[in-house]
Amino acid sequence: MNLKNLITSIKRTPYQSLTSFLILFFTLFLSLFFFNMTSFFNGILSYVETRPQVTVYFQDTVEEGDIFSLRDELSASGKTMSIEYVSKEDALEIYKDLNKNNPLLLEMVTAEILPASLEVYASQPEYLSEIAEFLKKQPGIDEVVFQQNIVERLVGLTTLLRRSSVVILFFLLIISVIVLMTTTAFKIALKKDEIELMTLLGASKSYVRRPFLMEGMFFGIVSGTAAFAIFYLIFLYANTFLKSYLAGIPNLPFYNLGNLNIIVWPPSIYFILLSYIAIILFGAGIGFVGNYFSTSKYIK
Amino acid sequence: MIKFENVSKQFPLGNKALDSVSFTVNKGEFIYLVGPSGAGKTTIIKIILKQTVPSSGEVSIGDIRLDWKDKSQTENMRRNIGVVFQDFKILHDKNIFENVALGLNILGENKKNIITEVNQALKLVGILEKKEMFPTQLSAGELQRAAIARAVVGNRDIILADEPTGNLDPTTSWEIMKIFKKLEKVKTIIFATHNTDIVNSYRKRVLTLKDGKIIKDEKKGGYDL
Repeated sequence: MNLKNLITSIKRTPYQSLTSFLILFFTLFLSLFFFNMTSFFNGILSYVETRPQVTVYFQDTVEEGDIFSLRDELSASGKTMSIEYVSKEDALEIYKDLNKNNPLLLEMVTAEILPASLEVYASQPEYLSEIAEFLKKQPGIDEVVFQQNIVERLVGLTTLLRRSSVVILFFLLIISVIVLMTTTAFKIALKKDEIELMTLLGASKSYVRRPFLMEGMFFGIVSGTAAFAIFYLIFLYANTFLKSYLAGIPNLPFYNLGNLNIIVWPPSIYFILLSYIAIILFGAGIGFVGNYFSTSKYIK
Repeated sequence: MIKFENVSKQFPLGNKALDSVSFTVNKGEFIYLVGPSGAGKTTIIKIILKQTVPSSGEVSIGDIRLDWKDKSQTENMRRNIGVVFQDFKILHDKNIFENVALGLNILGENKKNIITEVNQALKLVGILEKKEMFPTQLSAGELQRAAIARAVVGNRDIILADEPTGNLDPTTSWEIMKIFKKLEKVKTIIFATHNTDIVNSYRKRVLTLKDGKIIKDEKKGGYDL
């Protein structure tokens, strides 16, 4: 089926075509929104996970050897990704670096008054509170600081977003497929004579259904392109606000694929391209599946 | 060669469209199917096209015995048969060229061959100059010519004509018959008709049907109502 036939077919059934386009547009726009949101929150979560998640400060009486024993015990649990030891001297260096513009503060501080510490990175955010509780029970601990609230909230939010997007998209997918099936059934009814004639002339079922499948995919691609264009136009409009609101958040890689330069925030050209390809493939897929079911049912 | 051996067709309510019909049509033969409405003419055409499954009996086309469950056989077989209908079955949203090219598109012919073959077929039926026109711009006779052109393109060996002059005035009917005369030398033609003038004037083999049975099979037969 060439483009001319496709356009003719759409012109012959303008309302059915518009219905197919709108339902696909709506589904794909929301899909794009959820795709971007979950990618963003996943990036944020990954970023937070790169920060020291639990920092445990030791009293001055604790020997370095005891700290290393505790570090080894934590490592052996398999619940940590890495543990960094910060000695009193290291702490002083960090302090100096942080206060290099204020010599007065530097004069009064020596390594002796700063505590040694361990910076613990959990392998899973869910282990954070368990690690913190374990450390609190150890002897010679001065203080345990960890980002439980922010990580738990992020994990909760990301999970909620993923689950709700799956449920919403599932229903939208079902609705889209049913609407496409219905509009295509109408188109098949309109082309009943042509289909009958083609089968009498020896056309196979796949030959007869091919234009409908192409049309479904065409709708998916056009709707996906429209959804993509509108979504990124809105994004461009809100870009200044978003940049100031999210100031301080560094580059967020897409599912740890930062080395491919696929950055969710601020969105790199590769991420935008990936979004476009994903949405038109998804749209073409919905169009194909909807019309495949319809032609299977109505073309005998 | 088309061969029917004791073919019967009974509908679910019990009425018989065909009752133990046997006949053979040789390659290149022109044969009339005549008889009153409901005699079984269209049923025979539908069985050859595998549109209808017979209740019993066997049908062969060439060396192939028809298998009613084999869909690929149906497709391949139909690609060798051209059909002309009483109601033309011309698609109104396509022009005449596109209508005639439909069968060639199905056969997967390339664009160059399609143009050549369609032009030849339209020239044969005498409406080449109207190929860009749409069906609403043509008369009934011209539409039937287009339908014949569609039936002959693609090297189809068999032409089934189901009352092709049924909707046409006598003059146009004769013009259509002239086209079939040209075709009879190269195609096997089964021509179902009510038209006594045509059958009696252009004498060919006649199979006369009545109540689903063949009551006469004459080599240069006629048709009396």
